[in-house]
Amino acid sequence: MDSECLSLLPSVCEVLADSKLLPPDDTSLEKLLDWFKDLTSQDDGQSLLQHQPCLLQFLYSVMESEVVDPIIFSFSLKLAGLLAAEESGFCLLQEKGVLVSMFVPDGWHVLGLWKNASVRCGWLQGLWNMLQHPPAMDFFCRNGIITLVLNLQNDESLFITSLTNQILAHILNCSMPRVLGNDTDSTAEGQALVSSDWVSVTTEIMSHMSRSLASEDQAVILPGLRLLAIVLTQCGDPLKRLLWKHVLEPLEVLAIRKGDSLTPPMMAVLQAAARTPLYIQPECRVEALMNVMLYSRNTNESVLCAASILLLEKCVSIRLIGSAVISLLRICIGHYPSTILQVGNFPHLIGCCKIQRCGLDVLGSLTVYEESMDLIQEAFAIILQYMQSPDSHATVLKKAHQAALKWFSICSPSTDLWRFVSNDLFSVLKKHVCDGRWEVRDSTLEFIAQLTSALKGNSEYTEALHTNGMISVLFTALSDVEAYVQASAVAALGEALTTTNLPLCTSLQEEIVSHLLTVLAQDAESFPRRAALKVFTSWLKIPQTFAALDQSLSSVFSLGGNDCDWEVKIHTLELADVLMEKSLSHCPYAVQGYEPSERCTEQALNKLMDLGTLGLLFKCLFDCDRPVSQKACALLLKLRAFMKQTSHTDGNDLALEICRYNWGEEILHRYCSKRPEQSDCVSNDDEVSYEQIDIVKCDPCWPKEISLCKILDVLDLDEMQHTLSLSSDHVINSPRSLMEDILFVAHQSEDNVVDCY
Amino acid sequence: MPDIKVTPLGAGQDVGRSCILVSIGGKNIMLDCGMHMGYNDDRRFPDFSYITQNGRLTDYLDCVIISHFHLDHCGALPYMSEMVGYDGPIYMTHPTKAICPILLEDFRKITVDKKGETNFFTSQMIKDCMKKVVPLNLHQTVQVRADKRSFLNLCYLKYKTAAWIDKCRPDILITESTYATTIRDSKRCRERDFLKKVHESIERGGKVLIPVFALGRAQELCILLETFWERMNLKAPIYFSTGLTEKANHYYKLFITWTNQKIRKTFVQRNMFEFKHIKAFDRSYADNPGPMVVFATPGMLHAGQSLQIFKKWAGNEKNMVIMPGYCVQGTVGHKILNGQKKLEMEGRATLEVKLQVEYMSFSAHADAKGIMQLIRMAEPHNILLVHGEAKKMAFLKDKIEQEFNISCYMPANGETTTVTTNPSVPVDISLNLLKREMALGGPLPDPKRPRTMHGTLIMKDNSLRLVSPEQALKELGLSEHQLRFTCRVHLQDPHSDTDTLSRIYSHLKSVLKGYAVQHLPDSTVMVESIVLKVSSSAEEPDLKVVLLSWCFQDEELGSFLSTLLKKGLPSAL
Repeated sequence: MDSECLSLLPSVCEVLADSKLLPPDDTSLEKLLDWFKDLTSQDDGQSLLQHQPCLLQFLYSVMESEVVDPIIFSFSLKLAGLLAAEESGFCLLQEKGVLVSMFVPDGWHVLGLWKNASVRCGWLQGLWNMLQHPPAMDFFCRNGIITLVLNLQNDESLFITSLTNQILAHILNCSMPRVLGNDTDSTAEGQALVSSDWVSVTTEIMSHMSRSLASEDQAVILPGLRLLAIVLTQCGDPLKRLLWKHVLEPLEVLAIRKGDSLTPPMMAVLQAAARTPLYIQPECRVEALMNVMLYSRNTNESVLCAASILLLEKCVSIRLIGSAVISLLRICIGHYPSTILQVGNFPHLIGCCKIQRCGLDVLGSLTVYEESMDLIQEAFAIILQYMQSPDSHATVLKKAHQAALKWFSICSPSTDLWRFVSNDLFSVLKKHVCDGRWEVRDSTLEFIAQLTSALKGNSEYTEALHTNGMISVLFTALSDVEAYVQASAVAALGEALTTTNLPLCTSLQEEIVSHLLTVLAQDAESFPRRAALKVFTSWLKIPQTFAALDQSLSSVFSLGGNDCDWEVKIHTLELADVLMEKSLSHCPYAVQGYEPSERCTEQALNKLMDLGTLGLLFKCLFDCDRPVSQKACALLLKLRAFMKQTSHTDGNDLALEICRYNWGEEILHRYCSKRPEQSDCVSNDDEVSYEQIDIVKCDPCWPKEISLCKILDVLDLDEMQHTLSLSSDHVINSPRSLMEDILFVAHQSEDNVVDCY
Repeated sequence: MPDIKVTPLGAGQDVGRSCILVSIGGKNIMLDCGMHMGYNDDRRFPDFSYITQNGRLTDYLDCVIISHFHLDHCGALPYMSEMVGYDGPIYMTHPTKAICPILLEDFRKITVDKKGETNFFTSQMIKDCMKKVVPLNLHQTVQVRADKRSFLNLCYLKYKTAAWIDKCRPDILITESTYATTIRDSKRCRERDFLKKVHESIERGGKVLIPVFALGRAQELCILLETFWERMNLKAPIYFSTGLTEKANHYYKLFITWTNQKIRKTFVQRNMFEFKHIKAFDRSYADNPGPMVVFATPGMLHAGQSLQIFKKWAGNEKNMVIMPGYCVQGTVGHKILNGQKKLEMEGRATLEVKLQVEYMSFSAHADAKGIMQLIRMAEPHNILLVHGEAKKMAFLKDKIEQEFNISCYMPANGETTTVTTNPSVPVDISLNLLKREMALGGPLPDPKRPRTMHGTLIMKDNSLRLVSPEQALKELGLSEHQLRFTCRVHLQDPHSDTDTLSRIYSHLKSVLKGYAVQHLPDSTVMVESIVLKVSSSAEEPDLKVVLLSWCFQDEELGSFLSTLLKKGLPSAL
């Protein structure tokens, strides 16, 4: 527990209870409750209340106040519930009379606070927090609170009705084992606890449910059905059986009732019931009810019923569902089935995007079943039809791509399929890359990249990709007007080159690299630049060498490191990471005295230096975007560890001419602060000013070069890493900061109006 | 259903996270899908589980309409569409569609910059979400699925102080009420105040930091300073941090016609976005001696460049920071606005705040006067207030009810308001049509017994009239078009073309009893409106091509015939 926070608590309570002061905004109160929740989970409410008398005082003053702000009142109800979540805290609050006056009706309800939805919500939340143990249940049952809770089931607030249902289900769940007498640890003592109050509360809830379901008013039936569905999913079997007996009769009436919007909640109830043992008990009539629902409704509604029944079990064969989906997709695209009869029913489905998207989703998800393999030809045929149709909406095409990817993932590489790919699929994709809609161009390029990646190592596909003119289409897409599309073209092209087993001609490599360098240098919208760097990294990762890339690495580091987009910088650092890994791992860990390894290390470091990798790391270390400096710091730590392991000398060999770089100043600054004793030029203060650095830079007694090892030492990377890992978040989320903010806001005379962001 | 139901999931007696569900005529519409910056867990987004427990929003919602690009109105979109799952249409204006992804990216950056952030949308999700957006023009009407009556007699206005609005008399007007109790001093006064403060600070050699978000206020303030610098012939540099993209300025230029009149007017004289005095910022400039003004992101001083510069300048009382917008609890911006002078930074360091702190809201929210004016113009039947604090809303509600004598609602989040409407739409019927209907027989018109009438509805000059199709054509000066379908069926039939046609004729005659099947002298067969012809090529005389053509009314019969002929002719003919 943070003692500093606890020392602030009394004044926070005072501020909250003072109705003359502005209440803090509700996010502050919610976060304060989060903190209390943490506290009570570590330590029980009783000891918190005993050590922090201000809490009890706060609750008293809120109850006694006649002008309390509803927001504060709601907060105090939730808080009281939290403090009473454990028996000891509950008993203490009970003893002090807090709980009765806060939670029992007729206390403060007269004040008109009850009209406020946030207060009703707070009251329920408080109860929900508290009802975790038998004494709280006793308190609930004895004081007639249930009537009020049941009333709230028909509240006009969605939040309140939902919370009410959760509480009612919870109460049934807690009380039923005892009421039914089959509590596993039911000792005589336990049984004695089952007072008549408990029994009457559960009876009241169940009668209320059956009354709601028998109501004429839809607004009353709906929450009843929702509660029933919750109970059927969350509660124990004996309770379900008992409850079902109560509600079966009104349910049967509801099942035949037509023309209202109760079909979905009814089906939700039946679905829940079908997943319980009630389903196999004929007297429970679950299946019969489903039948009634299915046949007593109009077409639209019985489709809804059928859909939820289908979801229930694998009662229909996958093949049948597959065929149905494919037929439906055909109708939606205007390809009629052969009989006139069927046509007459579906003219409104033609071109309906909603069903097309949904159908393609289902078609894709069928691939998880083995039985679907039989449908593969038909599936590809319909997907292709959608891709070829000029009327297909961009969002539908995207779904077609997703479905195609799924089917490709399960199909064996048959020759027929590759003919399909190279003839039909590629020709339509090439068209789509030039579509007028950016959404289509982008989704298509994404699809090509994903397909290429998924079919890695498939020589037929690779051949088709490289011999169909697709590559030149991708090149064209690099100069698309939309940045998103350019970025996807970069990614697709990058993917196309990594997956190929074909010997790539150097000129193509060079062409792509020079294109991507242009993107890095000229693009103004960041997505293409990020994509280009990701492509470079993925190329560097594969075993083959891309001579063209190797020659351009220094330009890449320089462009990427000076980019204004933080993600480009991160990706540049990732590239540096791979390069470091690659070049340094060639050097065997040095055994002292073995010269070759040392030379190897030296060479590797020199190479990194020449390519600008080290410069990049130091520059990024001082970046204002935390993720960038954190990544750079991690890489420098890695480098330091490597150097410590491989080198037995001081590593003085590699020296950096720090004055040449703009990050050098920062390092020099730290260097001076760290070792003031080495020079008279700098005062002995902890901090060295930048003016002093200027003097240092001109002073001939100062080294123009500092060795890499020394720099890494001076930087205190571990401390930096620690600070960076705390991040700005550290300030924002600490409870102490929260309390200070509450205190400061309260004493602010001017109201800073909350507006848009 | 005549009722309109409105349920805010966010912005009900609350600011931020605007998200309002409207059910009207069997359609469910979501207005706005905003986020709350005050939280860094799921509470920052509206809780969509209240709409559907199974998360299938696509089943429930017919469309989403986004009012404008501020994050409290669109910040949760990628979360809703890509993480919860919504595939339907999202409507917004062209500028909003262009600017929305920039702000979402900017916000994502700020968020992932923080530690321990999980469950947040990615760049890819923002793009995928934008692919679902349908851009609209001002005053454009959209029909949400044409199969049902879906006229949206609902007026949703936000962010408009002096927006021009017709006297459209909507059933319900949903309006924001952020400044519900204030009558704000004019924007011009605030601008003058702003310039005065910046000028004073610069004069005494101080540095001025203005933390901003990527787009919106930043550009407006830039224009102000640029003009002022020009007029006063000031020399101190103004910098624009690199986080503010070129792209943002680009869009501001592009959508100039959508901006307010003042900017538009000045734009004619010169391109306001080509700044002479404002230059790109490099982080090394922060240490330069002498006065300067810097715009840097983010706007709440909680990360990145603006925080870095703030840390450097906070210790000098000559310097100034101007906060042009709202800051959420926990941010450095919030703390200094509330007068905290000692800030705990990362690690153990404490930062002493000696610089001058100023708050100036330039937000374009409507004040009480603006809202009342809007009501006067639109003459709605009901008002519903959102996006404001409860107490202030209550004040405005009373005022509206007193002055206009109409119902005003202010539901809390989750609370449903039901407004009963009278959806009857009067339509004039031409006498000719009525006479014709009577001539066809049937009972005389009886107001108690509604019956179906067929005709053409003409919507012209705010009046609705039902007339006969012929009259409609005549009035509108249109000629009738006929839609015909054609198709070819290939048949293997080793006869001459004429014989094949005769065989088809006999076949159809025997199958389609009761239909008018004719063999015409011009080598065609006609079944009702359907025309059949036979041809073949010299190379393959046995392969006949049967050409079928039918008009729209005979669509079913036409496709039946084509299917029938595809099966071939019986050999017995």
